[in-house]
Amino acid sequence: MDWIFLAELAINGALTGLLYSLFAIGLVLIYKASSVPNLAQGGLTMVGAYVVLALSYDAGLPLWLAIPLAAVIMFGLGFGIERVALRRLAGRPVVMILMLTLGLDIFLRGTTLAIWGGTSRSMELGVSYEPLFLGDIFVSRIHLVGAGVALALFVAFMLFFRTRTGIKLRAIADDYMASWSVGVSVERGVGLSWALASVVAVAAGVIWGEIQGVDQALSLLLLKGLTVAVLGGLDSILGAVVAGIILGVVENVGADFLDPLVGGGSRELIVAAVLILTVMIRPHGLFGRHDIERV
Amino acid sequence: MQEKAEAQPILSMNSVEVLYDNVMLAIKGVSVQVPTGAMIALLGSNGAGKSTTLKAISGLLKAERGRISRGEVMFQGTDITEMLAQKRVEMGICHVIEGRRVFEHLTPDENLTAAAPRGMSRSALNAEKEKIYAYFPRLAERRNSQAGYLSGGEQQMLAIGRALVTQPKLLMLDEPSLGLAPFLVEEIFGILQKINQEEGMSVLLVEQNALAALEIVSEGYLIENGRVVMHGTAEALKSNSDIQEFYLGGGEATDFHNVKHYSRRKRWLS
Repeated sequence: MDWIFLAELAINGALTGLLYSLFAIGLVLIYKASSVPNLAQGGLTMVGAYVVLALSYDAGLPLWLAIPLAAVIMFGLGFGIERVALRRLAGRPVVMILMLTLGLDIFLRGTTLAIWGGTSRSMELGVSYEPLFLGDIFVSRIHLVGAGVALALFVAFMLFFRTRTGIKLRAIADDYMASWSVGVSVERGVGLSWALASVVAVAAGVIWGEIQGVDQALSLLLLKGLTVAVLGGLDSILGAVVAGIILGVVENVGADFLDPLVGGGSRELIVAAVLILTVMIRPHGLFGRHDIERV
Repeated sequence: MQEKAEAQPILSMNSVEVLYDNVMLAIKGVSVQVPTGAMIALLGSNGAGKSTTLKAISGLLKAERGRISRGEVMFQGTDITEMLAQKRVEMGICHVIEGRRVFEHLTPDENLTAAAPRGMSRSALNAEKEKIYAYFPRLAERRNSQAGYLSGGEQQMLAIGRALVTQPKLLMLDEPSLGLAPFLVEEIFGILQKINQEEGMSVLLVEQNALAALEIVSEGYLIENGRVVMHGTAEALKSNSDIQEFYLGGGEATDFHNVKHYSRRKRWLS
């Protein structure tokens, strides 16, 4: 057994996992306010990446300006989605809202395909491709940057949920009716959570776009992101981070063992197994909120 | 004419009809008046339309796909019939909804924070919290535990405290005594009375527990089948024999062996 190699697999797995977390944080934000897993998060991430490309390559803005500007645009888009589509569904069964987010995902994918076409475009962040050696272990710089962004967002949102606005968002997640009864605007709260999730989507879109190119495949991150969010407990930001690391390590190390046996492709199987087992064994995930039952 | 010279009621609801889902008529022409600074009770049995009446006033009907199809609701002389619930809270109407719906995953302290009106400064909020903790010392002790694990009485106190943070002029409570031990009901009603007297806050109380409610209010309305069937001072209602029979549990002790058996009906229903 080569321990260095195993450590390298684990560390790189953890870094990739944090990139899944980066994506999953967006899902958690929306789930926290509206108790719906947002199936359009993949679409939003892709749109975020395309907007950055449009601003930097097509409009010629420098990246340091294009990314914040894209974040602002996506923030507005998130609010717009609530205003145009979700507000009408307030009080409807959750499954209707779920279907709406699915429709939205298809719509976003179709729109990006129509505007920017299907060919993959590259996102150059200027991060060196030179491998970085930590002792004997080699890690990718862009993964390291992405993991840093994920952790920064994690800290930022942990702090945010302690502010008054953050507390109101958590209150909305707990009880719509009670929130309305004390004058909390549920509509604005849900809008804000979509807006913040859209900003997270820009971050995820930029990092993942740099790694795998910007094309329709970006929206497929939803599957891994959803697995991480479910494993973490859907409404826990800390859960999303921890679950991301776990999934990343299990996937990377597990695939290394299984791939020679099954002839490749075991990554997807591992992700699927994690998702299915989580739902079967621990439906509220690692850090998910329990519904409190008092006797 | 003399009555008009008196201060206008803080709330007046005139012949209000409420439709759910555009088909189900839940209340049929209810008129209720709350004089400024008064404590009023809405009594009646299950499903009589008491909660719907409160929701029509607070604007929470919309969340349940109900609407006011006829009549008007006036608050301090302003027509609020079509106003958004959030706006009504800003104007000073707060509704403590049925079932002690506290934010379970937040602490009591955060529950109070969540209800802070927009633009309330941090120091004003803290002063407000201290005032509420002074009314409900039990809450102060548990301010940082999870609200979902508070006892029923504490949750009810928290729900009332949370409503007070919005600085209401009219506080409406839906069945605050439900499922609570009698000594807790007494404690909570005592505090309500104190708030009413000390802050001049008008209170509209919905109760099935007519006995406890009539002890603290000045007037009561009796609602049955979506209509107001009786209205009077607390004294008058307490001494009414029908109210005694159906809502206060008997009045004088009766020896049922000696009673002729006839079915007593709620005559006002027919």
